Amino acid sequence: MGPEFRRNLWLELTTRRIVFMIGVLALVFFAAAVSGPSYTPYSAAETLYYLIVVIWGARSAGLSIVGEIRDHTWDLQRLSSIGAFEMVSGKLFGSTIYNWFGGAICLVVMLVYGFTHGTPGSAVLDLIYYVVVGLVAQASSLLASLIAIRRRSAHSRLDVFLYQFVGIVAALAVFYLWEAADPAGALLLGKKPTDFIPWWGAVVSARPFLLVSLVIFAAWVLTGCYREMRRELKMRNGPLVWLGFLAFIGLYVAGFDAWLPHDSNLPQWSVVALRLALATTAYGALTYVMVLLEPKDRVLYRWYGSQVVSGAVGRAFWSLQAWIMSYLATIIVALALVWWLLMRGAGIAYPVLAVAGLGFLTRDVAIFVFFAATRRRGDFAAIVSLLAFYVLIPAILNGIDLKSALPFFYPAPSNPIWLGPVVAWGEAIVATALAVSRVALAEKRTP
Amino acid sequence: MIEVRDLIYEYPTRRALEGVSLSVRAQTIVALVGPNGAGKTTLLRCLAALEPPYSGAVTIDGLDTREHPREIHARLGYLPDFYGLYDELTVRRCLTYAAWSHGLAADAVENAVATAAKRVGLSGRMENKAGELSRGLRQRLGIGQAIVHEPKVLLLDEPAAGLDPQARRDLSTLLTSLRDTGMTLVVSSHILAELEDYCSEMIIIEDGRIVGGRPIKVKDVERPRYLIEIATARADFAQFLKDAGVDVVEVDEHHALITFTRNAPARAKLLRDLIAAGFEVSSFGESSKVLEEAYFSQIGRGAA
Repeated sequence: MGPEFRRNLWLELTTRRIVFMIGVLALVFFAAAVSGPSYTPYSAAETLYYLIVVIWGARSAGLSIVGEIRDHTWDLQRLSSIGAFEMVSGKLFGSTIYNWFGGAICLVVMLVYGFTHGTPGSAVLDLIYYVVVGLVAQASSLLASLIAIRRRSAHSRLDVFLYQFVGIVAALAVFYLWEAADPAGALLLGKKPTDFIPWWGAVVSARPFLLVSLVIFAAWVLTGCYREMRRELKMRNGPLVWLGFLAFIGLYVAGFDAWLPHDSNLPQWSVVALRLALATTAYGALTYVMVLLEPKDRVLYRWYGSQVVSGAVGRAFWSLQAWIMSYLATIIVALALVWWLLMRGAGIAYPVLAVAGLGFLTRDVAIFVFFAATRRRGDFAAIVSLLAFYVLIPAILNGIDLKSALPFFYPAPSNPIWLGPVVAWGEAIVATALAVSRVALAEKRTP
Repeated sequence: MIEVRDLIYEYPTRRALEGVSLSVRAQTIVALVGPNGAGKTTLLRCLAALEPPYSGAVTIDGLDTREHPREIHARLGYLPDFYGLYDELTVRRCLTYAAWSHGLAADAVENAVATAAKRVGLSGRMENKAGELSRGLRQRLGIGQAIVHEPKVLLLDEPAAGLDPQARRDLSTLLTSLRDTGMTLVVSSHILAELEDYCSEMIIIEDGRIVGGRPIKVKDVERPRYLIEIATARADFAQFLKDAGVDVVEVDEHHALITFTRNAPARAKLLRDLIAAGFEVSSFGESSKVLEEAYFSQIGRGAA
């Protein structure tokens, strides 16, 4: 048991709180048992589990470091000998120990019900699901708070609510995925629950597949927490883990090609192209997420420059930010897709669209860097700009029947066909030049 | 014990440290002084391996802060200017947690906690909650947490801020005793009077640079500082002292701050010579505000 976990035990699991939790839960279960057929101890336990472990637990996890920073005790912890793994586990499981205590009582009630009203196998699968959904919610909240610390964000109640919200959204994603594979469960997006999932050409049983997927994604979230904690403790993180995650996510997402609608008029759209398109999309999405989350630190960018100029490219590569690696991965896989399509004689419509997409991606990350160079809340300005480019202006253009201008704002078929990529890369070059010059100007102003 | 070479540290909006180089010998207490915003706290955080340098190198006990931050953390004690305590925990539990978190062996924790509590004078309050302590006692507990693992280096940022005179005196005694047990201390403050009692060297930092380029010896047992005052102004006062082979720190027509041997006959001779030369000596004594005098003699001279 690590010191951080033990300290949390002292603070969280006091006798008074334990008695209070047991008393309240016992009262609720008793009320559910005597209130009639619409409420059962099982349904009460399930609801309480989500409330205590997912919603409240996400808040506890989000507060575990933010609270230390707010109370000025974080430096004391960072200057300790506690390792990153021990610190993460101490924070994640220690700060939420009271939530898990209440959740464990609820799980016992649900397990008893599961064993008496269903099959033991189903009860055990449900148990794993509940533990994973709680873990994902709390770990996601902790990860969000760790990323926010890196960005030197504020530590107000609103911030903590946002971290909690991230955890709840992650739990909801898990919940809906699980429900989708539940033969007796609710529907996902109005479709029937699925018993089987096609993945990489194979048809696999939905529930075990999703459960394994959930466990793997939970492991990645925990890995993210571990790496962010290492960074907080001033240990160096190399690029290999993020590259490994990119490889995993590319392979995982590419396996879902059968879920994409196949265009019967385009026989050239091979399975390989679909898989490359899925991986490109995943990497592009990750680029946007990471460029938003990571600090656009011009001191770091200048350091990159100095390392490259001095020939220490390896050192710069070893410290690359995740969004840069994701961006490079997007470019590489997208170019592979373009090459594949051209080699297969698939025409130039889709390759041109892919090249335009890369141009707009480049423009967009340059917009993030541009606004972050001098503004404290630069990300907000960047998001507003992108909303204008992708939603507002296209809506106006559609409204006034000027659809031919759409390729100026996002990847869309253009006439002539080369216009789209030329415009996209023209904007990318202008945006990049503006971002670089703004960073350089800000540097000059630094005393 | 502490070596800093060409340290540059940058915040996104400004450069906080500009080519700082310094060296701190083991078992000394060094004052880190300078105006507000000069870079004292940033320098301390770099020394504590909490902020990685943009360029340059910081080594603590032979370990580079960039390469071995956690090993350095294990050797350090650090009390930031704004620090917090776990108000709901007792003094015993606060110290126990600090001992655990610094990796002390289980069988050594109880003894380490008792020793730290005794050192900071909290032995009688072990079962009090941290939130119930006065400011002075909280300060002691903060230092107790920082020293429970017997660090080689102790960094204190404004440790006496807000303390009453008695608490400051206790702090001074404590820091001196810690130095005597083998610790190396760097104490940051912009209140010079509080550093007077226990610092032997001073690093003046101004606009992110070390003034004078190196630590200044402010207490020399063999050659302390003396302040000489003469009743009637004499333009040749400086020249006389120079001819007499005296190290002059500062001089004008009425006063001179000098470093001179502690040897009593030599001092008596200097006094005799002054009087014989017609200087109306109204005061000749060891300077009691050496730090302040050294500080103001250096500040504004610019950085090296």
